[in-house]
Amino acid sequence: MAFDSPKAGETLVRVADLKVHFPIHAGLIRRQVGTVRAVDGVSFDVARGETLGLVGESGCGKSTTGRAVLRLVDATAGRIEMAGTDIASLGSEALRRMRPRMQMIFQDPHASLNPRMTVGSIVAEPLSEHGTLRGSARQRRVEELLDAVGLNPSFANRYPHEFSGGQRQRIGIARALALDPDFIVCDEPIAALDVSIQAQVVNLLEELQERLGLTYLFISHDLSMVRHIADRVAVMYLGKIVELADREALYGAPKHPYTQALLSAVPIPNPKVEATRRHIILKGDVPSPANPPSGCRFRTRCPIAEARCAAEEPAWRKLDDGRHVACHFAT
Amino acid sequence: MARYALRRLLIAIPTLLAISFIIFALLDLAPSDPTANLPLTIPPEVREKIRLSLGLGEPFVVRYFKWLEQFMINEPLNVLEQWTGWTIGDSENRLRVLSWATRSPVTDLIVERLPQTLWVVGMSYVIAVLIAVPIGVISAYRQYSLFDQIGTFISMLGFSIPTFFTGLLLIVIFSVWLGWLPSIYDTTHVVRDWDSFVFQVKQMLMPTMVLALANASQISRFMRASMLDNLNQDYVRTARAKGLRERVVVLVHVLRNSLIPVVTVIALGVPTIFGGAIITEQIFRVNGIGQLLIIGIEGADIPLVQTLTFIFAILIVVFNLIADLIYGMLDPRIRYD
Amino acid sequence: MTPLRRLLVASVACAAMTATAAQAQRGADGQLNIIYWQAPSTMNPFLSGGTKEVEASSMVIEPLASYDNDGNIVPRLAVELPTVENGGVSADLTSITWKLKPGVKWSDGSDFTAEDAVFTWKYCTAPDGGCAQSSYFEGVANMEAVDPLTLKITFAEPKPFPYTALVGAESPIIQKKQFENCMGAKAPECTQQNFNPIGTGPFVVKEFRANDVITLEANPNYREADKPRFQTVLFKGGGDAASAARSVLETGEFDYAWNLQIEPEVLERMEGAGKGKLVSAFATSVERILINFTNPDPALGPDARSVYKDDGSNAHPILNDIRVRKALSLAIDRPLLNDLGYGKTGRPVCNVLPGPDIYASTANDACLVQDIEAAKALLDEAGWAPGSDGVRVKDGRRLSLLYQTSTNSVRQSFQSLIKQWWAEIGVETELRNISASVFFGGDPASPDTFQKFYADVEMYTNNFSGVDPEAYMADWRCDAIPGPATQWQGSNINRYCNPDYDALSKKMASTAALADRAELAKAMNDMLMQDYVLLPLIHRSGTSAHSVTLAGVKMNDWDSELWNIADWHRAK
Repeated sequence: MAFDSPKAGETLVRVADLKVHFPIHAGLIRRQVGTVRAVDGVSFDVARGETLGLVGESGCGKSTTGRAVLRLVDATAGRIEMAGTDIASLGSEALRRMRPRMQMIFQDPHASLNPRMTVGSIVAEPLSEHGTLRGSARQRRVEELLDAVGLNPSFANRYPHEFSGGQRQRIGIARALALDPDFIVCDEPIAALDVSIQAQVVNLLEELQERLGLTYLFISHDLSMVRHIADRVAVMYLGKIVELADREALYGAPKHPYTQALLSAVPIPNPKVEATRRHIILKGDVPSPANPPSGCRFRTRCPIAEARCAAEEPAWRKLDDGRHVACHFAT
Repeated sequence: MARYALRRLLIAIPTLLAISFIIFALLDLAPSDPTANLPLTIPPEVREKIRLSLGLGEPFVVRYFKWLEQFMINEPLNVLEQWTGWTIGDSENRLRVLSWATRSPVTDLIVERLPQTLWVVGMSYVIAVLIAVPIGVISAYRQYSLFDQIGTFISMLGFSIPTFFTGLLLIVIFSVWLGWLPSIYDTTHVVRDWDSFVFQVKQMLMPTMVLALANASQISRFMRASMLDNLNQDYVRTARAKGLRERVVVLVHVLRNSLIPVVTVIALGVPTIFGGAIITEQIFRVNGIGQLLIIGIEGADIPLVQTLTFIFAILIVVFNLIADLIYGMLDPRIRYD
Repeated sequence: MTPLRRLLVASVACAAMTATAAQAQRGADGQLNIIYWQAPSTMNPFLSGGTKEVEASSMVIEPLASYDNDGNIVPRLAVELPTVENGGVSADLTSITWKLKPGVKWSDGSDFTAEDAVFTWKYCTAPDGGCAQSSYFEGVANMEAVDPLTLKITFAEPKPFPYTALVGAESPIIQKKQFENCMGAKAPECTQQNFNPIGTGPFVVKEFRANDVITLEANPNYREADKPRFQTVLFKGGGDAASAARSVLETGEFDYAWNLQIEPEVLERMEGAGKGKLVSAFATSVERILINFTNPDPALGPDARSVYKDDGSNAHPILNDIRVRKALSLAIDRPLLNDLGYGKTGRPVCNVLPGPDIYASTANDACLVQDIEAAKALLDEAGWAPGSDGVRVKDGRRLSLLYQTSTNSVRQSFQSLIKQWWAEIGVETELRNISASVFFGGDPASPDTFQKFYADVEMYTNNFSGVDPEAYMADWRCDAIPGPATQWQGSNINRYCNPDYDALSKKMASTAALADRAELAKAMNDMLMQDYVLLPLIHRSGTSAHSVTLAGVKMNDWDSELWNIADWHRAK
């Protein structure tokens, strides 16, 4: 399989057949009775400087994918290459040394900051752990970072709870930037924020990407926000990516029935068009990842499913326009 | 914070006065008689004279205010004089709270007993905390591991088996069968050299461990629950993403945050140290504050019981305040302004 | 081995090596460890009448005479026992003159004199002192020190039994010099004196910790140069009877444990360990059921409920009939009760006055055999016919009784057994138990005291101290009936009133010859028994345990168990 990205830049992150399974324990002696296949064979790559959007319903495994890519959860199988190093199998000390290059911005800006540490020490901690900066140099770097994310550097002595949600997310971004990472996983970074703040944070992320040459994996369930920020978009359903394409191609002409259904649910800010648009309503609930359907995982809710879909798992195919789809019927 | 503490202390005064009245009234109204435990061979007329000599003939209000004066003014003055060697006023004739059974000042009895209670019960508390915190941390960090399962099982035992049972079991095993440890605590023992120190350790071992097991089970469960709460927080993931060493993640980030509720639980438990451990003290004859209280109750030694319960009330009020202040110091989200 | 035991073994070994030398030496046997599971609260028995305080202080302060283990009066600080024969007691029985042993010294080295004895009397009878032992000085009109070694006690009226004041562990002599400023209301403030009395006894208090532990050492001025044999005594208090027994019988940490009232089979098993021996002594304690002769009906007002009326108008509607009382007694299997509750530490009894031997009647021993059929026949005869539910009925009234006692596991098992037997003869019983501190408390406002007797029958143990039953038998005189007029004070808890009994009691108060007194006491006992005023159940012993390494213990229930502690020594 080829994973050539449309941008000319080198591939920074390459994920191949990533699986994350969680055991289910039950009973008095907590015997393992099953497995939740949260991520079940995901492959993609991210080019340096690009933003890959990862979308899907809640529970589809996109956050787990994001965490697994950074080894914040251990992968059950598969490769995760970070600039050529497979971090999936890296020992903890070697992994720790890789940490500065890859960072994460979390969904909940409140919970992701240690409540007992001042903003300054939260931002400075990775510097003292990995960096060589000491004393006033470190102090200056902290102020610099706070300034870079649009916070008053004098806030360094305050505690996270003294800030608003948007400000806290800026602190989270400053913290992620502290060690000059190449790659940042943004795990729903705006989902917990007020709509008015969301744009500010997204703009900040874009601005920083431009200035610092960052590479993002942008995880979100907000399709319009992804359309705004991402270069390419991957759509996940029940632990698998069903379609991966350039932004324009995906939003213009979705090929996978699930992508089509998702996009049809996004309202278009034009009442006339909106009124005549066809909405695809999916039947039923998302099946349990502990017991996914045979064949194509989407078949139980797919409007065009046939007998073949239950028997045969659709291949991850590259279509003519360069996009990848996992559907028997996509052309 | 200082203003807050001062305000709380001022509020505590009327609270304690109300408590003192309730304690005094409850104990006074309860049907009991200091001469009830005397042999029946002592005739009723003599009993009546004994009761009168104890001051029971006076009206309730008079007795309450007398006791209040003795406890709130005379006894603190006495303690002050003993510490400083000063003489304040007419210290010879100052009335003190006298125990009915011993006819000696109640505070002297308490002071005499505090050392063994603090040694045994206090030590057991310290040991309990020292055991419980690491167990709680490891149990939570390795949730559902064999270590956690065993820890859960033992703390379940510590919770559910009463100390009079574990105490008796230990005595039968270590004193009766093996003959390694004394079953009766010698309060007159003085540590002078290595051998007497070893004896002191031996005689403290069983009562301390019985109490430590009970306390540790409780604290380790608190610790474990609090750790589990924090381990799944995003800020822990943040700390890992920062590339911190696992030891730093657990001990600095998770443990510090998890300790906040546990420290307050521990602080709130301190008054129970001074209260002694009624059952354990009784079993091993440590004869500390707890045993003093139970003897006072059995013998209807009302002044002793009133004074002890009131001291407990003061300690509880004070340590509640201390727990609140500690919380404020440990958790920057809480500010008393 | 515990260090303690190592010490014991070592000291035994030492004693064995220097056997002949040690035999005659004070303090040669090292330390004696005594455990009382109720801890003494003071060393002044005048301020607390509890057994534990009396016995602890008996190691330090002594009376003129004690009771030995057979109940005989033996001189202690006196040269001999004064009697009418030897001229010590005046012929008109109004005075007694004690000759004191010469050369007796207090532990501080000063001389013991008759002045100290006189002072003790003044101390205990001072107003506002609340002296717990003042009944021992009842009837004493005057005490004087004729000379330093002669004490004359004058009684207000003839006293046939003059050995009460300053006789027995409850009535010891304290030092005048030490307690001079502690008279009356000042008594409780003398904490130092009360905890560390100066005495003439074999031991001196070294440190007293109230309700915990007493350390004592041999009195250097004790009158017998080779006694006591132990150098120090550790007198530990607190805990419960079972663990006290264990510390002597099983772990061997202690040499002597007091008052082991626990299940007989547990005690026997512990004794099987071979480290110690149980010792019992029977005196006068009798567990008994008292019959209420007045009507305790709650419907009656406070002036009538359980109140005796001269005209008989308030007699008990059921129990006033002797046939019912007798039936209740017949239905009880006393030997079985004893086996279950007391074993070797008790014996079934049919007298309320079980000793000393000369006073013990044999006229009532038939009560030892349970006879359900005879009991039923008696109730039939009394007109109580079995009802449909098995409970007897007469004139529309059910044969139903309220049976109360103090809270105590043995008493509760007695209650349920007796309830069962009474059910067999058609008597319905409602059981009630009351916390001992309330039941035996004298609060006149409480409805639950044994004196108020708001029940049909009640059960507890009573006894008398010393060996003379005169005062004890006077308990059932008409004028001792408690009631509202006397604030419910009074010893005739039964509310039994019989002029014949009063006459016997009066006669005993003026009879001096021991044999005559014994006849009178027996007659009174028999009258109470044959009238079924109370149903004696168990003659209870004092039971203690001592280590096999301790010798010289003579268990005594008439006086302090420690009465001869000066003679205790290590067994060879």
